[in-house]
Amino acid sequence: MHSRLLIATLVLGLLPAASQAHHAFASSFDVNLPLELHGTVTRVELINPHSWIHIDVVNDEGVTESWRIEGGSPNALFRNGITKNSIPVGSELIITGYGARDGTLRAVGANITFADGRPVFFGGTKAPEE
Amino acid sequence: MTSFTVRAAGLALVLVSLHAGAQDEAIPRTGNGKPDFQGYWSMTTVTPFERPVSLGDKAFFTPEEFAAFEAERLEVEETVQGTQADVHYGFDDYGLHPSQNVRATNLRTSIIYEPANGRLPDMTPEAAAMRAEKQAWYAEHATDSAKNRMLQERCIVWPHNGPPMLPTGYNNNAKVIQTADHLVFMQEMMQDPRIIPLDGRDPVAASIGQWYGHSVGQWDGDTLVVTTTNFTGLTGRQIPTFSTDAVVTERFTLESPETILYQFTVEDPATFVSHWSGEFRMQKTTGPMFEYACHEGNYGIVDVLSAARAAEQETP
Amino acid sequence: MPAAAAAATTPDLNGVWQAMTPAYWDLEPHAARQGATEILGAIGAVPPHKGIIDGGTIPYLPEALARRDANFAMRRTEDPEAKCFRPGVPRATYMPYPFQIFQTDEEIFIAYQYAMATRSIAMTDHMDAPFDSWMGWSNGHWEDNTLVVEVSGLNGQTWLDRAGNFTSANARITERYTPIDADHLVYEATIDDPDTFSRPWTLSLPLYRHIQDEPEFLEFKCVEFAEELMYGHLTKPSDTDNGVNDANGDSTND
Repeated sequence: MHSRLLIATLVLGLLPAASQAHHAFASSFDVNLPLELHGTVTRVELINPHSWIHIDVVNDEGVTESWRIEGGSPNALFRNGITKNSIPVGSELIITGYGARDGTLRAVGANITFADGRPVFFGGTKAPEE
Repeated sequence: MTSFTVRAAGLALVLVSLHAGAQDEAIPRTGNGKPDFQGYWSMTTVTPFERPVSLGDKAFFTPEEFAAFEAERLEVEETVQGTQADVHYGFDDYGLHPSQNVRATNLRTSIIYEPANGRLPDMTPEAAAMRAEKQAWYAEHATDSAKNRMLQERCIVWPHNGPPMLPTGYNNNAKVIQTADHLVFMQEMMQDPRIIPLDGRDPVAASIGQWYGHSVGQWDGDTLVVTTTNFTGLTGRQIPTFSTDAVVTERFTLESPETILYQFTVEDPATFVSHWSGEFRMQKTTGPMFEYACHEGNYGIVDVLSAARAAEQETP
Repeated sequence: MPAAAAAATTPDLNGVWQAMTPAYWDLEPHAARQGATEILGAIGAVPPHKGIIDGGTIPYLPEALARRDANFAMRRTEDPEAKCFRPGVPRATYMPYPFQIFQTDEEIFIAYQYAMATRSIAMTDHMDAPFDSWMGWSNGHWEDNTLVVEVSGLNGQTWLDRAGNFTSANARITERYTPIDADHLVYEATIDDPDTFSRPWTLSLPLYRHIQDEPEFLEFKCVEFAEELMYGHLTKPSDTDNGVNDANGDSTND
């Protein structure tokens, strides 16, 4: 579970093209493909328009798969002290989210924590930075 | 993740921002005596672009009504696993939720204040017909090529880039650089610099269209008036689209060291049956502003087009 | 290069500037040659140049030289400039497009016409690069009348020219902008990248002020011109040309 952006709907709802921007997620990822991945970080791209965390996941057959997990713009993270070193390569992550419609090893990360349960970024309980 | 409401600090911010509007603080000025707009500004606001129909002609909240309205809008609503709304990353995980950014107080019930109902005027019949035709075409060809995707998906411009500049869902910040003869205004998303000369020079030839139009600034006392013409008239799927004859007039006033009052008027008789105007306040925040290199990182458009081509292979 | 004149006050670099050298094709000394495609005829061909590198050629380590040569072979499709990607530092300075410098006490902000790329040079409150970026992280200070800028945090995905010359993400660039008169700067960039080169090396060139009245440059966001190159292979094969291939050249399909 995660926060939804009510504001975007209100502020942008009457600029239909803008609210459709998030439909790209609906068309890319499938609500009927929920997943939970346990993996090891191989690469972190704190970039725009979306960040990507690449992880190696050992599947049920013991085969290692390379997944890429889509996340948010990192610009507010940087403003709050996150750097490129905040998720070291080799970190163990737990990612819950939804898989890609086209069946590729790609997912949107609705919730991301380290293996010990610590949130990777703000975890939804961070106080506003003002 | 647990839900939370605006904390007491947020309420205090409302009161501080109200007081700032009283203009009893000297504003900073540059070496040539002009108001100094430099710095980083948050455009985050809970004020909707158009007034909710239920509010009718109510143009302003009372401070108490605004506080309640803002608290409700900023509540972080949990999504339910297995629902479409959950198919997304958590905005507050990334610091992108509006409650996680400073906000000015805007007591208006909508950004638009002209027309009086706080909503966009109707489009002209010709413009509306053209838009309907384009929407129908795009519905058939949405994933045919990169050029059919929305301009923001192509990392060209977002609707909120304007001008007029509007708040958007997140990365609602802007950076201002000011010299004796130029103002540079740069929104965090898409991070194109609006380079505005302050000498009231003539606009460029009408045959030149630019995604951001062409802007010229001039001082009206302590208010910077920026006139923008030379829009492209192109849409992709950008709605509403300004015609090539549109004129946008923006007014920037430094109400206090902490707030910019931003006002704008759009005149485009080829597209709208009347002009429309809006205003909101920007709140001073801190920098730096980090690079937003959208096109360079645009995996998304490749993913969308690849998925569409793959789906076509499967369905003969 | 003429010696810099002594200045009593901090120079004013505000204005529109542009390099005037074909080094953007190839930093190293080179003869005239065919461009990456013969389709444009002489318009796409490479003019000759003596090079702008102190000491002649770029001191690549052997593996890096092989990668440079591989870049050159793939330049038509792999040059980041062809894709309208931000050009990084120092390439942005000597590309054949103008740029505008905005100078304040706290920062020097540069807007480049190409891709409307920007960079902020912090003149106070220096900090280390928190992440890698296309235009890098810049900290600047004055040494007499020379603006000295230390650039780090480049992402290693930019090239130095259209010939495939490049640096890694560990490169540290030191730029020096020195006015020699009101309308001319000398620009030097020293590239220190032990992953790629056997020693630091320096390029230098003059920069020329746009002296016409009301200098400005217009918008060149360029993404729409790169889409066919980058995404054309993902376009739907279509029987009817409902503008899918942007027949009217207006960058949108309507």
